[in-house]
Amino acid sequence: MTLSKSASKQLAIVTALAAVVFNGASAWAAPPTAREIVEAADRARNPQQSFRSTLTLVTYRGGQARERVVLGVHAKVDDKGGQMTVATIGAARQFKNLVRYIDPPRDAGKLVLLDASKMWFYDPASKTSIRISAQQRLVGQASNGDVLTVNLAHDYRATLIGEETIKDGDHQDRRAWHLNLVAATGDAIYARLECWVERDTYRAIKGKFYSDSGRLLKIAYYRKVANVLGVMRPTETVIIDAVDANLVTTVDAAGYRTQEMPEAWFQRDYLPRFEEE
Amino acid sequence: MSISLATLALLSAGVAALAPAVEDGDLDRIPDALAGPAAQAPATLPSHPPRGGPHARLYLEDALTVATLRAPVIPFPPPAPSRWQDRASADLVAEWAARASLKLTVSDRVDLVAQEHQTWWSRSTARNEPREAYASWQPRARLYFEAGRINVRNGVALGFNPTDFFRPRTLVGQASLDPSVLSRNRLGTAMLRVQAIGERGSVSIIYAPKLFEASPIAGNPVGVDPRLDATNAAHRVLASASGNAGDLSVQALVYLEQRRSRVGLALTRPLGASVVAYAEGTLGYEADLITRAIEYGQRTGTLPPGAPPPLPTDPSLAWRSDVAAGASWAIAARLTLNFEYHFHQGALGGDDWARWFAAGRANPLLAPELWYIRGYAADQLEPASQHNAFARVAWPNAGVDNLEVDGFAFVNLRDGSTLTQITASYAMSDRWTFTLSLSANLGSAQSERGSLPQSSSAIAGLACYL
Repeated sequence: MTLSKSASKQLAIVTALAAVVFNGASAWAAPPTAREIVEAADRARNPQQSFRSTLTLVTYRGGQARERVVLGVHAKVDDKGGQMTVATIGAARQFKNLVRYIDPPRDAGKLVLLDASKMWFYDPASKTSIRISAQQRLVGQASNGDVLTVNLAHDYRATLIGEETIKDGDHQDRRAWHLNLVAATGDAIYARLECWVERDTYRAIKGKFYSDSGRLLKIAYYRKVANVLGVMRPTETVIIDAVDANLVTTVDAAGYRTQEMPEAWFQRDYLPRFEEE
Repeated sequence: MSISLATLALLSAGVAALAPAVEDGDLDRIPDALAGPAAQAPATLPSHPPRGGPHARLYLEDALTVATLRAPVIPFPPPAPSRWQDRASADLVAEWAARASLKLTVSDRVDLVAQEHQTWWSRSTARNEPREAYASWQPRARLYFEAGRINVRNGVALGFNPTDFFRPRTLVGQASLDPSVLSRNRLGTAMLRVQAIGERGSVSIIYAPKLFEASPIAGNPVGVDPRLDATNAAHRVLASASGNAGDLSVQALVYLEQRRSRVGLALTRPLGASVVAYAEGTLGYEADLITRAIEYGQRTGTLPPGAPPPLPTDPSLAWRSDVAAGASWAIAARLTLNFEYHFHQGALGGDDWARWFAAGRANPLLAPELWYIRGYAADQLEPASQHNAFARVAWPNAGVDNLEVDGFAFVNLRDGSTLTQITASYAMSDRWTFTLSLSANLGSAQSERGSLPQSSSAIAGLACYL
């Protein structure tokens, strides 16, 4: 479908007016709830359509790069629940993830499938698929749980602690909402997390991740904002290990593109068949 | 509304005043190379394997094994096991999408083996293990027709897979005793396979033809023999369907082979956040292990035809079941433990083992036949005992970066004898990995594991991934 030039102009005017009206209204409205902030942060962090990207994880010990892993991530919007309704418009939707090891060579071809509680690890060398538990997503410094595309509003119950000025990953001061998120579904990767969301942009700045026992596991800073599929989003996560003081991991995302994925990709038996399209 | 805004402003200011800028010192831990907004962009990424072009995984490996031997209570027939062996291997998996709908796959390992009791160059020095070579045609999305030698592996347990119907006689020479390593290197079976994968599951059917008569069990594989006589000595059909019912993952299987047909079922389900339970089982109308072993030995000329079995047994067919049930348990995002119970109804029970040792002591001339039964079980990759337990621990990042420690134990629940192995793998770089394994057969002289001639072994391996 194409629009005439005048129709396009009219549409642009209407859109601009609508933006003014709604932005003005929101400025006079009550402050956003914690859930609204988390949903907006989800939309700012993740594309809200199915996509693929390439993640490069570099682990630093004592400031020296020690290990590099490259992963291809395929994230499909989970359409469970059927049609989008007025109530769900704007709400962040959950993803199914298929993570493929690209580098180093000894791990190349391994796959991790994560679809809610259905999680499988596939090793092409033994042609074996092993079902893994939610806890096993967290094994390792930068675990599968850290490279997944997840919408926090789906799995956590959020409360607003307050508004603070914090330093972001580039040592710049940012005004941010400080939120506390507690796992609300079995799909939640961490038992609890704190996150700081920039007030003006709704972009996540920092996160703290806790275990079931309340132990601080990781601290993450979200950096390198860039245009990703039409929206400015952070493209680098710096993960600081809270247990091992010398360990830092960076996760750099690149190569985003939208991609429709058949539902069959997220079947265990498809893992040996998977290949890039 | 203005009051609200003012109140909000005051609250905001108050919050800001009460909560000074968070300074955890976290930022100081970000490496200098990454600090600041001018941090460099990530290095150039390797591209994905191009779809349609050939791509391959190749690694080179050398594994040196040294073993300690003992004199078994029932004499082990010659040749005696080696006290040392060195194996140098080149391992290749290559795929080539010849056309959009046609893919060719080859998986092969070439070994050079030097070991005790073997001259430096013999028929067994250079070996080729052609694991797979097949063509895959996909006429429409996720429908596959395949022909060639394919390694089809079924099962959800780690130590014993009753539903892994194509496992017998597929073992190739290797150092590690870890069942996950054994399945990595085994031979495929020549077959035709059709598989369709849909949104809710998949169905497949396999026909593996009989191409050769059954061959004797060989201690040392010879040269470049593809060993199709081991993998294709009977007509076999396997039909399977898999899917999910809520959190439960289900696979149902029907296997047809003369005198060995079985039905099978495999299930997995998470139990909470850190446990995955799994079970697989089969039921079939077949002879017990002793009868099958003696029949096979006589059929292949290893045992004299018509000779009575060295142990009393009922040679008739009966309904017999195999089960492997267990769970994996992830602990504090550090360790993963697996516990399994294995039941192999056709294998040797407590009375059979007592008779096995009694027969060997009473008549040493029966030793070769007695050991042949156990050798047959090992060749079929099935337990020799009815009741076994299996435990495995995996500890990635085991206190040192890039160090992974794994250990496992098979325990005979009748006599307590145990096969155990612990392995440390250290990734020295992206390409080089060093592995050290220590294993032992523990138990009394009249137990399953304690009666084996090899008491312990150490394996040092170095692999380079190209």
